[in-house]
Amino acid sequence: MTTDTLALARQAISAALTRALPEHREIDWSQSLTSEAGLDSVQIMNLVMEIEDELDLSVPVDVLAEVNTLNDLAVRLSKLT
Amino acid sequence: MSLFDKFQPLADAQASLGTRSPAAIATPIEAVLSPTRGVIDGREVLLAGTNNYLGLTYDPEVIAAASEALSSLGSGTTGSRMANGSYQAHRALEHELAAAFGWAAAMVFSTGYQANLGTLSALAGKGDYLLIDADSHASIYDGARLSHAETIRFRHNDPDNLDRRLTRLGADASRALVVVEGLYSMLGDRPPLEAFVEVKERHGAWLLVDEAHSFGVFGDRGLGLTESSGLLDRVDFVLGTFSKSLAGIGGFCVSPHPQLQLMRLASRPYIFTASPSPATIAGTRVALRRVLQGQDLRAQLQRNFTRLYAAAAELGYRLGSDVPGPVAAIILGEREEALALWRGLLEAGIYANLMIPPATPSGLNLLRLSLSAAHSDADVDRIVAALAEMTVSA
Repeated sequence: MTTDTLALARQAISAALTRALPEHREIDWSQSLTSEAGLDSVQIMNLVMEIEDELDLSVPVDVLAEVNTLNDLAVRLSKLT
Repeated sequence: MSLFDKFQPLADAQASLGTRSPAAIATPIEAVLSPTRGVIDGREVLLAGTNNYLGLTYDPEVIAAASEALSSLGSGTTGSRMANGSYQAHRALEHELAAAFGWAAAMVFSTGYQANLGTLSALAGKGDYLLIDADSHASIYDGARLSHAETIRFRHNDPDNLDRRLTRLGADASRALVVVEGLYSMLGDRPPLEAFVEVKERHGAWLLVDEAHSFGVFGDRGLGLTESSGLLDRVDFVLGTFSKSLAGIGGFCVSPHPQLQLMRLASRPYIFTASPSPATIAGTRVALRRVLQGQDLRAQLQRNFTRLYAAAAELGYRLGSDVPGPVAAIILGEREEALALWRGLLEAGIYANLMIPPATPSGLNLLRLSLSAAHSDADVDRIVAALAEMTVSA
């Protein structure tokens, strides 16, 4: 993993969050996606769909099971790019 | 910490529906009187939420065949198809299903859920890919989990989105199984099947169409959306259930590829479970014959759902599908609104399904009506009148 791909993944997550969840204002990368950021499974799925379009990649379904925080997601995505 | 803590969000969702009887989820049905009548909370109601699309659950010939098999062959097989549970009638039904499609092979499973579990987990193994519609039924998601394939979702009913994902796979697309449904049971919408077929052919991928809700309903012989779209020679697998139009319980997978038979040796949900009871198989064989010759039933069903869709739209209800079909899902803004409509209809003597997250796509709150060929014009009039009454009282 390079800093570049991680930065790219973070950028894609920020852009996707803004589009998929416009009401979601602040991004705290260490927040738990479900309990702290308050996303439900449908919102997470929509978010990932947006990120997939942004980065032009396919995220396998089981990747989401390994991810707790937005930072986890960014790191995992950076390995896919 | 308790093992049960994880269920609390579900318990909260259930509690949000209140304690008033009868419960809106898992509603106690005290008696069933016919394909369209039952008893709930001590009152006779019109059943409009059963997925009994052709109304064959009380077909005299289906019942007679099931009764005869129950008496002559016993109440259960007590064994797997791999051991002592493979009777002549199980094999005959598989032969009849394959013949109906004009295809090489068919396999019968003990439930529709297991048909997806058993087919997807066996067909797609380690190093393969499953590309599934984001709004797929739970049995497709669970079949994917049971497989060791890499599972990728594509946007609901979006062949272009699938195209991009198959493009990313490159040559590996030849090891990708695409899964779509003939009719999505939550919103009642259907896929642009020909466009999906074109995409899968262009990439050399495989296509499975789950016709659980569309078998019996679409196509001249009721084989489903694949038949009505003229695509029977261009899909690889059709999956179906016995528990909707075929009025029993069980499931099947049918394919033009004779190698489907090899799945019997590898599909754990097929191997490690008891085979369907003799009565189930006997009833299903008769129901299958009725489905294949059921143009009259399909005509009545179509008449019913065309009328209901037109009336619901006129009343200002927002439906999950623009194209009329046997499932009419009314989309409501809030859970309370959906619950109020569900209760209002029940008070008017009509049973429908309340569908709420996490069971629904996009977190929608739905009041789902499903129609049957056994509904009369007067039954549809009654449903429409109750819906009209609810708009007045809203």
